[in-house]
Amino acid sequence: MRLSASLPTGVAALFFESARKRRQLENQIVDQLEKDGFGEVILPVVDYLEPYEAMPRSIRTSDLYRFVDRDGEVLALRSDFTPMVARLIVPRLASYELPLKLFYRGDVLRYQEERAGRQREFYQLGGEVLSRDGGICSRTALRQLLEILRRTLGGDRPTQLLVVLGFAGALDEVLIDNDDPRAVLEGIVRRERSLARHAPVLREVVENGVPDDPAALGETAADRLVELQALAEETRELFPEIDLRVDLAEFADQVLAPRLRRTLSIRPYYDGLIFRAFAGRSAEPVGGGGRYDRLFQSLGVEDVHAAGFTVSLDRVIAHRGEERMGEEA
Amino acid sequence: MIRLALPKGRNLKIALDAFRAAGVGLADVDVGDRRLRVELPEDGLEILFLKDWDLPVYVEYGIADCGVLGSDVLEEVGADLLVPARFKEGRCRLSLIGAGNELPRPGRQIRLASKYPQTARRILEDRSWSAEVIKLSGSVELAPLLSLAELALDIVQTGRTLKENNLQELEIVREIAPCLVVNRAAYQTHRTELNRLLDRFEDAGTVD
Repeated sequence: MRLSASLPTGVAALFFESARKRRQLENQIVDQLEKDGFGEVILPVVDYLEPYEAMPRSIRTSDLYRFVDRDGEVLALRSDFTPMVARLIVPRLASYELPLKLFYRGDVLRYQEERAGRQREFYQLGGEVLSRDGGICSRTALRQLLEILRRTLGGDRPTQLLVVLGFAGALDEVLIDNDDPRAVLEGIVRRERSLARHAPVLREVVENGVPDDPAALGETAADRLVELQALAEETRELFPEIDLRVDLAEFADQVLAPRLRRTLSIRPYYDGLIFRAFAGRSAEPVGGGGRYDRLFQSLGVEDVHAAGFTVSLDRVIAHRGEERMGEEA
Repeated sequence: MIRLALPKGRNLKIALDAFRAAGVGLADVDVGDRRLRVELPEDGLEILFLKDWDLPVYVEYGIADCGVLGSDVLEEVGADLLVPARFKEGRCRLSLIGAGNELPRPGRQIRLASKYPQTARRILEDRSWSAEVIKLSGSVELAPLLSLAELALDIVQTGRTLKENNLQELEIVREIAPCLVVNRAAYQTHRTELNRLLDRFEDAGTVD
């Protein structure tokens, strides 16, 4: 057989300088997480598929790398850390003191159609916060991500960081009686003005991220928007160099109402605060996260709240590279 | 300044007409322009001329803030881009084309030729044919004519080429429109300018 150095689509090997950059960034973030009281968990790269079938998750079953092992068990390669963390920590929860702050790192694999810039193997580093106080979870996860990005993308020539905040179910009350909520939601996520035309509140959300009058979202969502805006204000004071915006259209597909979930045949992951961070001009976020109490509820835990974040090391490194290319040019 | 990517293909004239109708001058820019980039400070724009299939990559990576792109290409590449407006001009159909008068019977083994293999596979997910997708890069209509494939999935504008070659448009799969696509991060940073531009397109009646 002819020897070749080619690799399957969407995966990459890092040699020398590239490997050094990855490890250096990883160590910088890990040092900071440990200093801030996060403990590491190391998880297997292969797991059973079946326990995750009924859990909320961020990716489709068809995008998992699945196989049957020699014992006939259906297994999957790790595609996400959080559901595995939740499943493994729930039976041990009584022995830990809350709030619990943990972090993980490693590769995840997800099938993606082949095209430029789209990988199938990603290196993820992220953290989770479990607490009996949901507000603490959300604040801690958001601030930790921003602190990591401030430090890794800051320095002498800080990168322009943009962070978008929203919350799950923000448009549920407006959409619940819509004849075709799937089309409208997809249109809102894409900012398609024509699909939002029939409801002025949706048009305002598409154009400006938030409605002029929060009450137009319905009572529950209006209260949550006011809370979110207070959180945004408080976070801006802590991170004045970060451009922080509230935008409900960005996360419109994260619905909560059971009827909408059934109609859309989705089980979105987040059920509270959601955030996404962009560096420079790229549309690919360098980090993100949010609140997912429902994940723990699906495992029978009612009184624990959870929030988490992930950082895309490869995108942070790519962004640092682009900054340097720009300076040299 | 907003960096706008314009397509070199069939959608360039449509894009130029729509921008001009909205009061954006685009002085000296025309179909057949051989420049790669043009700065137009009076319009607050820098124009990049790109091939259709490359355009979504440039916008997704943030090299361009926004662009004009056919929804056929957008769907095929699956780019994570915002699509705030669809232009009214330049609309056409993505259709299943065959040499016979009707679609193959359910359950049949067929070959489907297309420039859009990913879109073709998605469409076939809902059909009962057992199908093989053949990717071609041009003259897709020849495939059913010369029996390379039972069906072709391709753009139909007037239907004249089909008529002249005794081919039938057997099913319209979807309407295709030139779209304004925007980078997710750029939408946040240039929100005011982009919304103003979109208002002008709406006022000029060039978008839905």
